[in-house]
Amino acid sequence: MNDNVEILKQLSETNGVSGHEKNITTQVEDILKEYTDEIKYDNLGNLIACKKGSEQDGPKVMFAAHMDEIGLMISDIEDEGFLRFTSVGGVDQRTLVGQEVTVLGQEELQGIIGAKPPHVQSANERRKAYKMDDMYIDLGLEAEEVKEKVRIGDVVTVKREFEELKNNRVTGKALDDRAGILVMLTALQELKNIDHKADLYTVATVQEEVGVRGATTSTYGIVPDIGIAIDVCHGTMPGVSSEDAAELGGGSAIGFGPHVHPKMFSKLKDIAEKNEIKYQVEPSHTPRGTDAFAIQVTRAGIPTALISIPLRYMHTSVETISMKDIKRSGKLLARFIRELNDEFVEGLQCF
Amino acid sequence: MKNLIKKLVESYGPSGDEEQIREIIKAEIKDEVDNIETDALGNLIALKEGKKDKKVMLAAHMDEIGLIANHIDEDGFIRFDRVGGISPYMLLGARVLFNGETPGVIDKEGQLDDIKKLNYDKLYIDIGATNKEEAEEKVTLGDTASYYREFQDLGTRVTAKSLDDRIGCVTLIETLKEIDTPEYDTYFVFTTQEEVGTRGSKVAAYNIEPDLGLAVDVTLTGDMPEAKRMSVSLGEGPAIKVKDRSVLADPKVKNLLIDLAKENELPYQLEVLKYGGTDAGSMQLTKDGVLAGAVSIPCRYVHSPSEMVDIDDVENSVKLLAALLDNEISFL
Repeated sequence: MNDNVEILKQLSETNGVSGHEKNITTQVEDILKEYTDEIKYDNLGNLIACKKGSEQDGPKVMFAAHMDEIGLMISDIEDEGFLRFTSVGGVDQRTLVGQEVTVLGQEELQGIIGAKPPHVQSANERRKAYKMDDMYIDLGLEAEEVKEKVRIGDVVTVKREFEELKNNRVTGKALDDRAGILVMLTALQELKNIDHKADLYTVATVQEEVGVRGATTSTYGIVPDIGIAIDVCHGTMPGVSSEDAAELGGGSAIGFGPHVHPKMFSKLKDIAEKNEIKYQVEPSHTPRGTDAFAIQVTRAGIPTALISIPLRYMHTSVETISMKDIKRSGKLLARFIRELNDEFVEGLQCF
Repeated sequence: MKNLIKKLVESYGPSGDEEQIREIIKAEIKDEVDNIETDALGNLIALKEGKKDKKVMLAAHMDEIGLIANHIDEDGFIRFDRVGGISPYMLLGARVLFNGETPGVIDKEGQLDDIKKLNYDKLYIDIGATNKEEAEEKVTLGDTASYYREFQDLGTRVTAKSLDDRIGCVTLIETLKEIDTPEYDTYFVFTTQEEVGTRGSKVAAYNIEPDLGLAVDVTLTGDMPEAKRMSVSLGEGPAIKVKDRSVLADPKVKNLLIDLAKENELPYQLEVLKYGGTDAGSMQLTKDGVLAGAVSIPCRYVHSPSEMVDIDDVENSVKLLAALLDNEISFL
């Protein structure tokens, strides 16, 4: 594995369910500190790493990639020690039966998700997919021990080792949006010995999966001149055509739609063309889907862009992406920062 | 405490129409606090100055769910929509009160043969008027109505309308009477318009800029016959919130409340609520972020005219909040 694949592996395998991002925060701080001048946190736990520009009072640019992941939360402990759970963020419940999980109780506990087997289901039950209410987590422990070690509200992640596939592709859990964290890292690596005027705030946001909450407060605190959300978008696959998705390995997906400033879109596209960085256009219309929305409507309004990494099997534990798209996106963003000047920032105020 | 509960739950105050309930709460607390004011959204904000200059905000919403008149027909029957989340099934045979003074009864259209098709369009309110003109003397389009229901003392438990969240208001009032000088400046905020999207607390928190924000509201329970699965029960202690649809309580805040409950030997439960939100959500996302959590009072039959709470839970919630305000908080 090359270094950045190794880093993505660590990020993917570290837990950080929305609202409980402590472990992933440590990891992210570790990888960003080498490339930034200052790291701070706000009250929600957003990690704000700043790389200073060469110009006094230069433009402020914010990159936002969320470090939280979807997960489960214990909602009830049955007398026999089985754990009932609910979701944190949009978990696809149909993918849960048979998964191995880690319960983050008083200590880390390994368990599995079980449900009534088809053999003993009624004909009617068999026709329907399992619902979360039908499932439970079995830790293999005696009920008394379960009650000592697990509390209502403890979070749970699906256990999944990150794997390299052929053709520069990788698969794992939480690549939404740890891939975005790696894009920020790649951009910082590109900018390492390069002079740029803008102050760059790379923000690993929290609580995106429950309603873009971290970006809401971090943007308010930073007051950037420009905000760029870096997230994942759906990749093409059987049943999902290019109308609804971007091609895996097809390049950095530059978002376009109501929450993207038209001049930001054009600028990123121009830079990609000029530097021969492979890109694709991703029309994006749904509000609240990414941090771009939260950034855009902060304070008096922030010019916003959205860069996405095409990803297959979103919100499952086998999310799959191409490392090439990460590299291209990092490069694109680095070039953007390098070229950025006051004139362009002022131009964003007029349509 | 029961007298105070009776006084508050029998007051009128659907979201956006909180004047009556605000004046009652104001009269109850104005001599006990260092400053009291009302903001542009009608939030009642009472300050008790503390020993240190950090700020704690406690929010309980004083608004209640209700109905709003949107059409009066020639015969004087009033059609309506909801203010906040009321199921149409709760309204069959219900009595309501317009503007805190005009009673009415609710029935469904006679042609409705399938109860599953019951919705707001099929219901009407009859205030006893013989025609439109007579109805309009008492009710104008846009007027709101609340449930019309008396408080009942059942012993350890009480039942009434609008315990959501007048019981939170009672908890705040009892807490502020309990403590002399809190550790930090403490804002007791009786918020408006929670039931239509935590609107009051949003602007109150913007203005106050608290270092810690706690909502005091009700939560659902799972201890009724064939109830939906939920681990909170009536009478088992205050519920310390972990999650609802609006907020993931900050783990530091959650753990602080658990530690305080243990130290003071108070019963407590942990709350994972699958639906619904509270003022904690809006406080948390204020400006560049606020440490937030919530203490919830277990309540059965929420949003019905007969909500039910256990007095022990209320008393223990007061003790828990008083302990919180009395002590230094390590992370502030």
